[in-house]
Amino acid sequence: MSFFTSFYNKVFSFFKPQEVSEDNSVKEVARSRLKLVLMQDRTNLTPKILEQMRGELIDLLSKYVELDKDLLELNFEQEGDQVALMLSIPVIRAKDEKEIEEALKKDALLKGIKLADDDEEEESAESETADDESEDNTADDNNEEESTESVEEENSSEEHNSDNQENTAETV
Amino acid sequence: MSGRVIVITSGKGGVGKTTTSANIGTALAKAGNKVVLIDTDIGLRNLDLLLGLENRIVYTIVDVVEERCKLKQALVKDKKNPNLSLLAAAQTRDKSAVTQEQLKEICETLKKDNDFILVDCPAGIEQGFQNAIAGASEAIVVTTPEMSAIRDADRIIGLLSAREEIESYKLLLNRVRPNLIATNDMMSVEDVVELLACDLIGIIPEDTGIISSTNKGDPIVNDEKSLAGQAYRNVARRIMGEEVEFLNLEEDKNFFGKIKNFFEKTIKDIKAKI
Ligand SMILES: Nc1ncnc2c1ncn2[C@@H]1O[C@H](COP(=O)(O)OP(=O)(O)OP(=O)(O)O)[C@@H](O)[C@H]1O
Ligand SMILES: [Mg+2]
Repeated sequence: MSFFTSFYNKVFSFFKPQEVSEDNSVKEVARSRLKLVLMQDRTNLTPKILEQMRGELIDLLSKYVELDKDLLELNFEQEGDQVALMLSIPVIRAKDEKEIEEALKKDALLKGIKLADDDEEEESAESETADDESEDNTADDNNEEESTESVEEENSSEEHNSDNQENTAETV
Repeated sequence: MSGRVIVITSGKGGVGKTTTSANIGTALAKAGNKVVLIDTDIGLRNLDLLLGLENRIVYTIVDVVEERCKLKQALVKDKKNPNLSLLAAAQTRDKSAVTQEQLKEICETLKKDNDFILVDCPAGIEQGFQNAIAGASEAIVVTTPEMSAIRDADRIIGLLSAREEIESYKLLLNRVRPNLIATNDMMSVEDVVELLACDLIGIIPEDTGIISSTNKGDPIVNDEKSLAGQAYRNVARRIMGEEVEFLNLEEDKNFFGKIKNFFEKTIKDIKAKI
């Protein structure tokens, strides 16, 4: 069973309800509320960060497989005192080599222009240090990635990846 | 002899740490163990009252660390059981009066000639808590089946599990009300254990006898007929490494069935230590 409850799904519309409990007893309400709150206490992951993680995972996996984005499930599950992140992705079909190659190429191009953007942003935002600020930047980048179509510049995607990781670590 | 140092802690206040310390300490001593109870709730001392020893306190733990007396002089022997003694907290000072190192040292010294050192921890996760756990290698986390108590217990469990010196920690569920569980108005023992993912050491029922035992200064484990007393005696036996079935808190067959089931599942996890 998913560690999160239907309550969480309703509030943050992030997790898909797996087992919507019919039991509305006081005990069940208390139990579901606690499950949610303990998970948040344990992970420090805000719904915003989780949403971002979900978006990035979809982008990444879409390069290789065509997946049913709406059915992608990302859940926390507990095994003993360990919390595991469980990802379940309904695959519509696997992409063929050519499609993957294309996707990777497109990705590299997008990242190229993003890296250029990042450089500019870094310069202009050097004095702003708040964590929230960098979170917002990353979210903006995602939107740009979706809307930007024509790309000319090309840069090393690897270099960018490591940059991006550092960014995320800071944000979390 | 090298005694075991067990801290009784909870996060949330008022869930029964001091009651638990007094009762487990008394039960362990009654079973023939040499036991010292340490009250680390400096400024809000209570353990002396629960044991009925409030008029015998001459020196406190603060007098020990400030070298106004020897450690032995500050240990107050229980009226009924010479195996049990109390190191009281000072009432007129605050949590900064004793450091982690000092508490650790006291525990190390007491380990030499006692079987058990039980440390009654103050509420919270601040300095008082850090001090109390400083010398301990085992912990009992007390909670009630209520939201805020469970949430705070989870915080404590997180802190304990991150601490290398703590070899084992177990959950004690206090103030369980089988009638509320039966009507689904209170989370069950299984629910709480599942949420906290922590092994159980005891289930103590809500019992008005605990109030009168506190008023008398006589721990409820001394009352052979009390169910809560029985539950605490069982905890003591589990600490000593015995496998003891969890109590049937209600005649209701359903509930008993559940508890029994649960017992069978978890007994494997109850190891020799706590
Ligand atoms: N099983 C029980 N049944 C009924 N009353 C109980 C039970 N356990 C504890 N109590 C009552 O709850 C109150 C708080 O208990 P206690 O002082 O042991 O908690 P505590 O965790 O030590 O509190 P603090 O955080 O203030 O140190 C007391 O009045 C006590 O009598
Ligand atoms: Mg207390």
